[in-house]
Amino acid sequence: MSASTALPRTSPTVKIPRPALLPRLISLFSGTTGLVVKIVLLAVLNAFAAWALYVLISRGHWVAVVVLAAATAGIDFVYLVPRRWTLPLKFLVPGSIFLVAFVVIPIIYTIEVAFTNYSTGHILTKSDAISQIKVTSLQPPANGRSYTMGVARDSAGKLVLILRDDVSKKDYVGTKAGLTPLPPGSVTTGPLGVTSAKGYTLVKGNELFALDKTLQNYIVPVGKAGIRPQSISTAVELEPTLRWDAKRGVFVRLSDGAVFADNGVGSFTHGAEELEPGWKTGVGFTNFRRIVSDPLVQRPFLRVLIWTIAFAAGTVLLSFSIGLFLAIALDKKGLRFKRVYRAIIVIPYAIPGFLSLLVWQGLLNDQFGVVNRIFHVNVPWLFDANWAKVSCIIVSAWLTVPYFFLVSMGALQSIPEELTEAGRVDGGGPWQLFRRVTLPLLLIAVAPLLIASFAFNFNNFNNIYLLTGGGPPQANSSVAGSTDILISYTYKLAIATGKGQDFGLACAVSIIIFLIVALISAVSFSRTRALENLA
Amino acid sequence: MRTKRTAAVVAVVLAAILAAVAGGVKAAAAATPVVTIWTDQNRKAAVTQVATTWATARGATVNVVVKDFGSIRDNLGTVDAADAPDIIVGAHDWTGQLAANGLVEPIYLTPAVKKQFPAYTLNAFSYGLAVKKLYGVPTQIENIGLVVNTGLVKIPKSFAQLEQEALAYKKKASGNLAIAVQQGAGGDAYHMYPFFSGLGGYIFGTNSAGNLDPSNIGVANPKFLKNASLIDKWNKEGLVNAAVDSSTAQNAFLTKKAAFWITGPWNSQLLSSSGIKFAVMQMPKIVYPSVPFLGVQGFMVTKYASVHGVDSLAQDLVANYISTPSAQLALATANGRYPANTVAGKQVNDPVLAQFGRAGTGGVPMPNIPQMSSVWSDLGAAWVNSTKGAGATPARQSFTAAARSIADKIG
Repeated sequence: MSASTALPRTSPTVKIPRPALLPRLISLFSGTTGLVVKIVLLAVLNAFAAWALYVLISRGHWVAVVVLAAATAGIDFVYLVPRRWTLPLKFLVPGSIFLVAFVVIPIIYTIEVAFTNYSTGHILTKSDAISQIKVTSLQPPANGRSYTMGVARDSAGKLVLILRDDVSKKDYVGTKAGLTPLPPGSVTTGPLGVTSAKGYTLVKGNELFALDKTLQNYIVPVGKAGIRPQSISTAVELEPTLRWDAKRGVFVRLSDGAVFADNGVGSFTHGAEELEPGWKTGVGFTNFRRIVSDPLVQRPFLRVLIWTIAFAAGTVLLSFSIGLFLAIALDKKGLRFKRVYRAIIVIPYAIPGFLSLLVWQGLLNDQFGVVNRIFHVNVPWLFDANWAKVSCIIVSAWLTVPYFFLVSMGALQSIPEELTEAGRVDGGGPWQLFRRVTLPLLLIAVAPLLIASFAFNFNNFNNIYLLTGGGPPQANSSVAGSTDILISYTYKLAIATGKGQDFGLACAVSIIIFLIVALISAVSFSRTRALENLA
Repeated sequence: MRTKRTAAVVAVVLAAILAAVAGGVKAAAAATPVVTIWTDQNRKAAVTQVATTWATARGATVNVVVKDFGSIRDNLGTVDAADAPDIIVGAHDWTGQLAANGLVEPIYLTPAVKKQFPAYTLNAFSYGLAVKKLYGVPTQIENIGLVVNTGLVKIPKSFAQLEQEALAYKKKASGNLAIAVQQGAGGDAYHMYPFFSGLGGYIFGTNSAGNLDPSNIGVANPKFLKNASLIDKWNKEGLVNAAVDSSTAQNAFLTKKAAFWITGPWNSQLLSSSGIKFAVMQMPKIVYPSVPFLGVQGFMVTKYASVHGVDSLAQDLVANYISTPSAQLALATANGRYPANTVAGKQVNDPVLAQFGRAGTGGVPMPNIPQMSSVWSDLGAAWVNSTKGAGATPARQSFTAAARSIADKIG
């Protein structure tokens, strides 16, 4: 008895190890707390979805309605109904949704646009374009009249227009049958249009505003022309110049009978003559064919491609070598103020790139810039084709060095000291050690980042656009300037050719750029795998 | 556990219903028609005030939405119909693109109203391949002029005198500029236009119907090329320099490192508050009158107005109210610009605005056809190539190349 009671007292207390922070945090959210958090988050999500559905339904975006409803129901199911197979989905769903929303959908949209003529003059649907052409083809006839107007109802309650000729000041009543003069003095007008008409009740306020559609289609025939309300208080005599032949689907010009037919690529044309606006329609591989055949696109393409690769590669190599050098230099044991140096090196990374690019643009101005003044040189940093290229690479490298400094510093720590130690015992010099031991080991960790950085700089629109704007211009100037990389050149193609904007062509070029980057990255990654085998 | 799960499902469903109801209530509240106007931050106050005055008289409601000026044009093509504006406040050189896209509606002004506007302001807002139509009511006009620091130099009577005074001032101290006119690496064809027109250059000719003809490009027309060697002379003596960008030009004039500055009324407040004694004038005639580009801003009715069922209201606001002298004066002066309506123009008594107005005499409205977007970069580039100091391309060569490139791009 005594032995049994003494036992707990004498035995050493078993210490239960305290769980780490993360598991503790996770456990905090399991049980009731977790359930409540889950319910709140899901409720917020559903409320948001319900609101979005409401908006989408009111605008008639039916495809989006179905996708959103299905996705929301799916999410609710995954988190509320415990099934064995939904468990992994709980972790995969959030990431997948963002992937689809921000990566997959823009890609699909880009591909879709690349096969259309989406550009200035081709952004409406065909039916919108037809109704717009009908509106713009109306023209005031010679000596066409304009009227101050009031909308009114006659004694029978039928809608009529009370009209006062702006020039002759004569009064009329207009119906769909025609124009009838009114006796002088039966109509009064004010700054807001017709204020009263004997024998008619004026339609005012919300009742008048609600007639918008009716007024747009209300025509008082006058010979070939018709008086059409233009606003709630004015009407103009207009005459059509084109006739829409719905059966044949063509416009016919009334003056000479010329037929404007659908040309298959989003316009009504008659020979070289074209009606504006056109509409957005599929054009197959036309945009891709233009990249190959249109001299405007094809001539500078290779030159721009070469410079793009040089720019991306130059930026990555320069910034990586400087970053690595600094990392090694600051890795030295016993160095004082190490933290200060590191903080200073990371500064370019902390300043928003937009800002530093604009500052650099000022610093490099060849007449007034600080760089030329300090060094008492006269280098045309931004005005000479070759120097501008150098500037682009230097500034981009300046922006990227901190990244590679941080990455290299981390990677250096992970290289076991025994290896360099062993190398030193074997009689290797510092350069040899770096070349044969440190660098290969470092590259295993850093090579994928180098490729990623290359791909990033390949499409580094900001740096080029804000620093040089693609300039200086080529002497035989074309769309592409001396420092334009593919993506900034694409941008210029999209906004500054032909009639202004050509999104279809720009999307086609974007797809080509994507293929080039994908190809380069794929080849590089397969090479990196070879590096790993070395270790 | 089962009750908990049921509770969860109930809570989630309830929240969804609540949200749907809230959305429904908000939509039901809108009864009177709302006219939506897109404008930029600078014009917001004046536009709101003028539009509200109109709305009160009419019993309608206006909703002024602030957008970045440049994105008003571009967003109009991509915006969802439900969010689209009924009226936009924009620049006349958007007219071609917007009309070609079918996004704006024609406007018909009465003969009496038309008479109150200079023909070029209405022309600036007109566009059409065969039939030209008016798509906007102009509200304010602007153009650049030559700003002279009268404390430092005399007002030049001829271009030769301008050249001589400017160069003399440049020699006075290192870092001085002759004529502070902004270009920068990308070029600035707008600010260089007085030099361009003074040498006989033009952008697009007109066809027999009086419309701008994109196949008639005057960037390297024979008259201009005959005088182009003057540009090489200016480059050699440093009268103009491509390295000067907008901030350099402004600083140079304000710190008295330049006695001549080419700029517009958007800097008139800065000028007045600088304490510098100045006068604004049109640059003296070079070979031909050195006229600037004219910019006209105005109101346009979008095609969405009829989709929203407020077309007749929007047309009433734009065609019948914005065109009146009182609305014009309020809109233009709030923005520090000269009103387009001549009756309103007579009531402006700001001497600086009036001087800028005179500096625009005979000016050319910026071409409003969409092909203009192919011109800016090339024309700017030609100026940069020929005025970048040492190593510049002869003007004859660079402008000929620019003309060829523009023709290529327009296709």
